[in-house]
Amino acid sequence: MPAVQETIDQVRQIDVDQYKYGFETTIEVEKAPKGLSEDIIRFISAKKSEPEWMLEWRLDAYRRWLTMDEPTWARVNYPKIDFNDIYYYAAPKGTTGPKSLDEVDPELLKVYEKLGIPLKEQEMLAGVQKSKIAVDAVFDSVSVVTTFKEELKKAGVIFMSISEAIREHPDLVKKYLGTVVPTTDNYYATLNSAVFTDGSFVFVPKGVRCPMELSTYFRINEKNTGQFERTLIIAEDNAYVSYLEGCTAPQRDENQLHAAVVELIALDEAEIKYSTVQNWYPGDKHGKGGIYNFVTKRGDCRGKNSKISWTQVETGSAITWKYPSCILRGDGSRGEFYSIAVSNGHQQIDSGTKMIHLGKNTSSRIVSKGIAAGVSENTYRGQVSAHRKAENARNFTQCDSLLIGDKCGAHTVPYIEAKNSTAQFEHEATTSKISEDQLFYCLQRGIPTEAAIALIVNGFVKEVIQELPMEFAVEAQKLIGISLEGSVG
Amino acid sequence: MLEIKNLHARIAEDGTEIIRGLNLTVKAGEVAAIMGPNGSGKSTLSYILSGREDYEVTEGEILYNGENILELEASERAAKGIFLAFQYPVEIPGVATMQFLKVAMNEQRKYRGEDELTTPEFMRRVKEAAAELKIAPEMLRRPLNVGFSGGEKKRAEILQMALLEPKLCVLDETDSGLDIDALKIVADGVNALRSPDRAVIVITHYQRLLDYIVPDTVHVLYKGQVIKSGDKTLAHELEANGYADIIEAAA
Amino acid sequence: MNMQQAIKMTAAETALVDAYTAQIGDLPGDGSVLSVRDTLVHELKTAGLPTRRVESWHYTDLRTLLRAVPTADPTAFADRVEALVAGATVLSVRNGHADLKGNAPEGVTIRSYTDSLLDGSAAAGLAVLGTDDAIGRINGGLVRGGLELVIADGTELEDPLEIQLVQSLGQAHTRFPVSFGANTKATVIERHLSTNAAESLISSVSDITVGEGAEITWIVLQQQGAADTHLGQIRFDLAKDAKLHLFLINAGGKLVRQEIHGKTSGEGADFKLRGINLLGGESHTDVTFTLGHNVPHTTSTEIIRNVVFDRAKGVFQGKILVAKDAQKTDAKMACNTLLLSDDADLSAKPELEIFADDVQCGHGATVADIDHTQLFYLMARGIPENKARAMLVNAFVAEIVEELDDEPLVEALESVISAWLEKHA
Repeated sequence: MPAVQETIDQVRQIDVDQYKYGFETTIEVEKAPKGLSEDIIRFISAKKSEPEWMLEWRLDAYRRWLTMDEPTWARVNYPKIDFNDIYYYAAPKGTTGPKSLDEVDPELLKVYEKLGIPLKEQEMLAGVQKSKIAVDAVFDSVSVVTTFKEELKKAGVIFMSISEAIREHPDLVKKYLGTVVPTTDNYYATLNSAVFTDGSFVFVPKGVRCPMELSTYFRINEKNTGQFERTLIIAEDNAYVSYLEGCTAPQRDENQLHAAVVELIALDEAEIKYSTVQNWYPGDKHGKGGIYNFVTKRGDCRGKNSKISWTQVETGSAITWKYPSCILRGDGSRGEFYSIAVSNGHQQIDSGTKMIHLGKNTSSRIVSKGIAAGVSENTYRGQVSAHRKAENARNFTQCDSLLIGDKCGAHTVPYIEAKNSTAQFEHEATTSKISEDQLFYCLQRGIPTEAAIALIVNGFVKEVIQELPMEFAVEAQKLIGISLEGSVG
Repeated sequence: MLEIKNLHARIAEDGTEIIRGLNLTVKAGEVAAIMGPNGSGKSTLSYILSGREDYEVTEGEILYNGENILELEASERAAKGIFLAFQYPVEIPGVATMQFLKVAMNEQRKYRGEDELTTPEFMRRVKEAAAELKIAPEMLRRPLNVGFSGGEKKRAEILQMALLEPKLCVLDETDSGLDIDALKIVADGVNALRSPDRAVIVITHYQRLLDYIVPDTVHVLYKGQVIKSGDKTLAHELEANGYADIIEAAA
Repeated sequence: MNMQQAIKMTAAETALVDAYTAQIGDLPGDGSVLSVRDTLVHELKTAGLPTRRVESWHYTDLRTLLRAVPTADPTAFADRVEALVAGATVLSVRNGHADLKGNAPEGVTIRSYTDSLLDGSAAAGLAVLGTDDAIGRINGGLVRGGLELVIADGTELEDPLEIQLVQSLGQAHTRFPVSFGANTKATVIERHLSTNAAESLISSVSDITVGEGAEITWIVLQQQGAADTHLGQIRFDLAKDAKLHLFLINAGGKLVRQEIHGKTSGEGADFKLRGINLLGGESHTDVTFTLGHNVPHTTSTEIIRNVVFDRAKGVFQGKILVAKDAQKTDAKMACNTLLLSDDADLSAKPELEIFADDVQCGHGATVADIDHTQLFYLMARGIPENKARAMLVNAFVAEIVEELDDEPLVEALESVISAWLEKHA
C-alpha cells in the first residue's frame, strides 16, 4: 500500500536526529581518574564521606565483579566495553552533595530549565506547574538538589540523595540496601554496587501516603563518563508512594554506559508505583553514539497484600537491557508491569519483566507494547513463575509488537513456569503491522496518513499510557511521537 | 416438595452475604416464579439449590422432599431430581452433546440403582425429545454448547430437562437472549413437562416469559429475602409499576 | 572446539563415547560417514551433553538428567506388534534394526538406511542442525539402521504406513529420511514402543521432505516404557503448496526430548502441529519446536495440550521465526496445560522472532486446573465428580485428535489416550 510505504520511507530518512535534549553544557567538573580500581572506589567513597562499612561493601562487590563475565544471553550486539576507559566519578566543581536551591550553580539550574524540569519550589507553589512534584536532580555522579525536602519531612517522608541517606540514615540504608538486588546478582548490578555514585532514597513510614509525586531526574553531561545510580525506595506498612524517573544525555559520537540499580521494598499493605520515561540519547542515524543502558530494577513485595507497579516508556538509549521485576513474597501481593518500548534507527532493546510468585494468592499483570521501526531490534523477554507454595497464583500477560517497515525485528521470549496446580497463567502475544483496513478507514474519514498512524500507534499503547501519572502521560505520548520521527506526532 | 427455611448464604471467596434469611415453599405440581431486580440474589439461589461450591450456606436449611440436601454434592442432587437450566449454559469443547447426554442419563440411573439404558433405547429417547424441540440431529453431534446460538443453547437445556425427567426444575433467566419464536418453543417444552408430581421454579426478570409459562405463585426477591408473595397477578402488577412500590412497602 | 580445559565427563557421556569406541569398525559407513561420526563423537566428548546454560536446553539439563546409559545389546530380541489401525502397511524396526521383508505399497520405494551409510550417500544428512543439536550428535555418531523412503510423484496411499519401532532393551539409534514427491497424499505413523520394563535409550531422527502440492499427515506416537530415554527429532522441509500435518502424542518414557525443526521453502506451504503430552509418574518430557517461515505466503498453526499428573515435569519450547522477506506469513501457536497435581510442573517458552512487517503472528499459553464452571455443569447433570473430571481431561485432548479426518485413526488414538488416562488419573 503506497501510503504505508511513504511513511516507512520518511521514517528511514528522518531517522533519529530529532533528539532535542542533545545539547552539552560546559560546566567545570571534578573527575576521578579514568578507569576502575580499588583506589577509584576508595576515592568515590571518600568524596561522599561514607562510613567504613559502605566502603567495605563496595570493595566486596568489586572483588566479586572481577570474577564475573558479561552476560551474553540478551538479543543485543555491541562492541566489547572497555571498563577501564570510563570515568566513574564526575561532579560539577565544588559540589559534594545537594544544597539548597539558591546555592546551586545558576549554570546548572539553566540546564534543568532547558530540559523542562521544575526545580523552583516557589514557581510550583505559585501554580506554574499543575501539581506538586518533588525532584531529586542527579547530574553526572552527584545529586545537585532535592526539592520539597522540608515539606515531605513534615509528612514523615524521607526523600534525599542516597549519598546523604548513607550519612544521615545509615541504619535504614544498612537494613535495606542490597536486600532485593544482592551485590552478587548480575554483572552490571555488581559493578553498580562497587561504584554507584548517586541516586535517590525514599522512605515512607507506616501509614503515610506520600503527599506528592516524587521524582528523580538523571542527566549525563560529561564525556566518557558512566552513570551508576542507585535508588532505594521503602514503603512501610500501609504506606503509598508514586515515584517518577526521567533521564537524558547529550548527543555524542562515543557510547556511554549507564548501569543503574533500583530496589523497591513494600511491606504489609503498602503500595509503590514506579514510572520511568527513559530518553537517553539513542545514537545517530548511522548507529553512532548513544547510551548503553544496563539496568537492574527489582521490587520486593515483602508484606502481605503489598503492591508494586512498574510503568516504563522506553524510547532512548542505543542499547536497553532492563527487566523491572517483582518478587511476590507476601501473601496476596500483586505485581504489575506496563511497558512501551519504541525502537528506531539502530536501537536495540531487550526488555521485559520477571514476576516471581512465592506467596499465596499472589497476582501479576504484564502489558508490553513494542514498536519497532528503522533497522532496530525490539525484544520482549519475560518470566512468570509460580513456586510450589504459591497457591492460587494468577498471571495475565499481554505482549504486542508493532512493526513499521521491513528492516526491523520484533521478538517475544516469554518463560512461563508453573509448579503449582492452582496457578492460572494466561499469556497472549501478537505481532502485526498497522492494518491497511484501519489506515484506510482513517484516510476515508479525512485523516492524513501521518495523523492516522499517530492515532493508531497511540491507540496501540493507550493501555500503558493510562498507567502513567497525568503529567508524564502527555510527555510520554509526545516522546513516542518524536521517537518515531515525523511519521507520527 | 421444596422448603427453604431462613436461608443465609455468602460467596465463599470473599464472604459477601447474598441470601439473608430467605423462606420459600414450593409444592409438587406447582409452578413458582421468582422475580426481582438485578443483584437481588436470584441466580445465587439457583446455584445454592443445585449445590455450587462457590457459595457457603451459613444458616438455615433446604428441605427437598423432607430431606436436607445441603450436604449433598451437585451430582447427587441432580440424580435425586433437581435440575438447573443455566442462564449461561457452559461450553465444553471436546465433549460431544450425545456423549454428554448418555453419560448424564446413565450416571443418574446408576445413582438411583436403575439399569443403564441400552444404546437403541437411549437413541430413541433423544431423537424423540429433540424432534419435539426442533433440534437438528447435527447439533447433537457437535461439542456441548460450543458454537451454539443463544436460542440453541436454551433449547439444549430444555432437551436435557426432558431427557433427565427431573422432579424439581429451576429455570434461571431462561428467557434471556431469546427471540419470541425461540421463547415459545422453550415455553412449550417446559409446559409439556408440567405434571402433578413435578415442581418448576422460574427465575426471571420480566413478566414476558410468564405469559407463556403461567405460574401458580409469584415471589419477589430483594436483598436476599422474599419480600412479597402472591399469585400470577403479582407479576402483572410488577410489570406495570416496577419494583419500587413493593420494596418501599416491605422496608 | 576451543582450548577450554576438558570438562570432567559424566557417566552418561562416558558411556556414549565408549559405546562408539566399542563399536568402531562395526558401525556401518564408508570413509565419509566415518569421518562425520568421528567429528560428532569428538564434539560430544569435548562439549559434553547440553546443560541449562544452553538456551535451547534451558528446561532440560540433559547432562544432569541423563544419569546413565544402558549398554547396547546386539542380541536383544523384540517382537513386532499389531498395526495401530487395520490395513496399515507395517515397516518394522526392532531394536534399531529394520526388517525389509514384506511388500511396499505401489509408488513407495524402501531402502535400508544401513545401505546408505555403507555407500556414503547418507553422509551429508548426518550434519547437525547447530552447536546445540545434541540429538543429532548422538544419533549421527551411533546410528546403525533405519529406512529410507521415497514416495513417487502423484502417489496417493489409501492406507497408512506404519513405521513401527519396537524396543526391548539396550540402545537403538535410527534414522528415516523420507521424501514425498509432488502431489502425493499419505499418512505415516511413526510409532515408538517398548515391549518390557527394561531400560532403553532411543535416538531417532526423521528427515521429511514434502514435495510440491503434497498433503501429508505424519503421526508420532511415543509409548516407551517408564524407564526409557527417548531422544527424537523430526526435521521437515515444505515445498510450494505442500501441506504437513504433524501430530505428536507423548504417552510414555522417563526422559523424553522430542524436537521438531522445520522450514517452509515454497510459497503456499502450510504446516500444522498438534501435540498431546500425557505426563505422569516421575517423567520429564520436553517438546521443542522451531519453524522457519522462510518465504512469503506460508502459514502455520501449532496447538499443544499438556496434561500433567503426579510428579511429572513438562516442557514446551516453541519458536516461530519469520525471515526478512517472508511477508504475509500467518502463524499462530498455542500451548495449553492442565496441571493436575501439586507436584506437577510445567514450563513453557513460546517465542516469536519476526523480521517482516506484513505478518500476522501470535501465540498464547495458559496453565490452569480443570475449569470449575464446566465441572459444576457436569455435576449439576448428575455426573459424579471423578467421572466429570475424567471427562473434562479427556475432552481437553480429544478435541485435538478429532481434527484428524480419519475415523479408524481417531478411534485408535482415542483409545490410546483413554487407556493412558485410566491408568494415571
